[in-house]
Amino acid sequence: MKRTWSLALLLLAACGIEPSAVEDSSEAPTGVAPGVTLYFLDEWGELRPQLRETGRLGTIAEAVGLLLTGAGHSGLRTEIAPSSVTRVVVTTTPEVVELAVPLTAGDVTPRGIDQIVCTALGVHVQSGGARTMKAQVRFVQPTPVSDVVRTCPLIR
Amino acid sequence: MSGPLWPRGLRSRLLVAFVVVTVLGAVVAAWSGAGTAGAALVASSEQRLTEALTGQIGAVTPGLAYPPDQGALERLRSAAGANTLVTYGSLRSADGVAADLVPDSLRTAVRTGNRMVTQRTTGGGEPWLLIGTPVMITAPDGARTPSGIEVYAARDLAGVEREIAGMARSAVVTAALTLPLAVLLALLAAGSVLRPVRDLRDTARRLAAGDLGARSNPRGADELADLTATVNEMAGSLQESMAALRRMQADARRFAADVSHELRTPLSTLTAVVEVLSMSADGMEPDARESAQLAITETRRLVTLVEELMEVSRFDAGTARLRVEDLDVAGAVRDCLRARGWSHRVELVAPGAVPARLDRRRVDVVVANLVGNALRHGEPPVRVVVAASGGEVLVEVTDSGPGLPEHVLPHVFDRFYKADAARTRTPDSGLGLALALENARLHGGDVEAGNRTGARGARFVLRLPRESGDR
Amino acid sequence: MAAILLIEDDPLVRRGLELALSRHGHDLRTADTGEDGLREFRSSTPDLVVLDLMLPGIDGFEVCRRIRTGSEVPVIMLTARGDDFDVVGGLAAGADDYVVKPVQPTVLDARIRAVLRRTAGVPGGVRVHRDLHVDTTALTVTLRGEPVALTPTEMRLLLTLSAAPGRVFTRRQLLQAVWEHDYLGDSRLVDNCVQRLRAKIETSPAAPEFVQTVRGFGYRFGPV
Repeated sequence: MKRTWSLALLLLAACGIEPSAVEDSSEAPTGVAPGVTLYFLDEWGELRPQLRETGRLGTIAEAVGLLLTGAGHSGLRTEIAPSSVTRVVVTTTPEVVELAVPLTAGDVTPRGIDQIVCTALGVHVQSGGARTMKAQVRFVQPTPVSDVVRTCPLIR
Repeated sequence: MSGPLWPRGLRSRLLVAFVVVTVLGAVVAAWSGAGTAGAALVASSEQRLTEALTGQIGAVTPGLAYPPDQGALERLRSAAGANTLVTYGSLRSADGVAADLVPDSLRTAVRTGNRMVTQRTTGGGEPWLLIGTPVMITAPDGARTPSGIEVYAARDLAGVEREIAGMARSAVVTAALTLPLAVLLALLAAGSVLRPVRDLRDTARRLAAGDLGARSNPRGADELADLTATVNEMAGSLQESMAALRRMQADARRFAADVSHELRTPLSTLTAVVEVLSMSADGMEPDARESAQLAITETRRLVTLVEELMEVSRFDAGTARLRVEDLDVAGAVRDCLRARGWSHRVELVAPGAVPARLDRRRVDVVVANLVGNALRHGEPPVRVVVAASGGEVLVEVTDSGPGLPEHVLPHVFDRFYKADAARTRTPDSGLGLALALENARLHGGDVEAGNRTGARGARFVLRLPRESGDR
Repeated sequence: MAAILLIEDDPLVRRGLELALSRHGHDLRTADTGEDGLREFRSSTPDLVVLDLMLPGIDGFEVCRRIRTGSEVPVIMLTARGDDFDVVGGLAAGADDYVVKPVQPTVLDARIRAVLRRTAGVPGGVRVHRDLHVDTTALTVTLRGEPVALTPTEMRLLLTLSAAPGRVFTRRQLLQAVWEHDYLGDSRLVDNCVQRLRAKIETSPAAPEFVQTVRGFGYRFGPV
């Protein structure tokens, strides 16, 4: 009889929401940063991150736009031709970040494309995105270069 | 389990047990279903809420100034929805009940764990889900460090609880719906189990009442059918034994009757010739005379014994018949005493005539045996009281002797039972009281044996109906 | 004292009774079968017959019936105790009395003497009841001038009843007066004898004129 009653109590407990202890749930959100990381090239032509202290992380478009404005006086150089237009359109799908830059394929070297891809994917990861994300760069004129789905050599 | 609440009858017990088990099963099934669904509902709600919060926070953090100022915290808090508390160092931005509900344990877990944590709690009578999370800084290479910003959000679970309650209610209803079904099934099951039990009980009753031909029909091949077959077997062997016993009894009785009958012819001769002997006794030697006298006495005794044996045989064979006639019981008793020469030894108390319709000879036998017994085994004065009471005639015979010992009482009317063989003064056949009882019963009456209350002596009471039908 | 025919099949019982009754002064003749008995009865004309009912050949009932055709000689039956069939059948066959075996010769002698006493007349002359004439000394009865043959027992019963017309006699009183039985006498003797008497003197035995039944008490002699 005792067992029957405890069973009934158990059943009653199943009905309704009981307070619980602290339970682990999931990854914490992220996305805050003191600034944005841009990628330039050193004298040996290697990719180098450069933190611009903007006070916040900002979007991929802002970061790539900032990249297009050049390396400034930091001792690093860029292989992206200077342009007065820095508006970048970013389209994000689950697998690929598509970057439409106001450049032609001739305005950038393959290293310059790496700069764009690394900067964009870096912001993506810093905003909490997956590290497996890939990028595609589209130019103002269609070119086979744009069809390549790329990853950043520094972000594995 | 043997309290007054537990029903006595097999049927009701079976019914209750069946219903309890069925309903309990239904309740357990419904309830555990509801419980599982409830738990799943809570889990999915929690997941939805935490994912939503992660999304809300993640949507604003890239645009959030870091290190944040009060304004940035306000923005983050408003993005995270109502009932949210956002802290960064000593800065804080709070809205709703979140700040009141968040316990220290949750804060500690947020600060040390670098992961989003949850805790269910109650506040204001409502269930809440508390979600706490640090906001992380992720380096481009994926390394995560806490930013120092912490977000605590309280999410109302009242809606979820209402859903769970709804599910529990439907579980109760489901369980309740099984109740009439369970009763119906229980009745059917109890019927199928109890019918053979009832049959068996009826058979047992008939057997107990003496109907040895009673049998149950075994149905099926279960334990009850086995039991029924066993009971039938038992009844069968009982019937056989009883039949054998009856045969033996009948044989024994017939033997007694035959023997008595055959003894009658030589006794007729003996009776005739011993009288001749006694008539010639005067001229004999004294010892020859005494021998003749003994022969006469013993022949008379033998005649009496054979006559009583034959009478007993007639009772046993059921051939004893009543020959009723109108008679005065008081007069019959008086005649009985006078004919045996007992009138001066026995005090007769009779209220005048007591008319009745009885068998004169049988009444005489009963009275003679009762009085003879009192004279033989009791002590004077012996007293006979005749009285009429309603439709009955009572003849009470008492003596003033030692009375009947306790161990003798149940055997007083047994055939050939002799309680004090050594002290018997005059020999008697040993059938007298048995015959007295049989004769009384043939009339529809009875003889009771006992002791006088308040005085010494045995007391026999003959009860006869005033109107005895011919049998 | 009296000539008695004893019909009994068992030789030892027969001899025993013969010895005892002779001792009581009777003149005994014996027979061992019914046929023998009837032959002896016709040749010796006894005063009384003592008849065992269980006989080989023709039984006691038949012997009694044959004796009764043309003879009023008293018959006493020897029966087994309690054998109602014997008693009823014997009385119906016309026996005057019965004794139960084994019988004490003194008891049988008393019955014999009682039966024989019924053959003696009583003073009183001729009693006339309508067309029934009863001569108490000659012991003859005529009905409408015709003689009626009565056995001594029937005669004695008629004499007893008609001595006090209108008086009710109980069966017990009649048993003592006619049969000289003790208090345990069998009342069927009376009833049976009354029936036979009615058959002889009543015009309609079903609605008797002379021997009337008084229910619950006994009999009385009419007309009153």
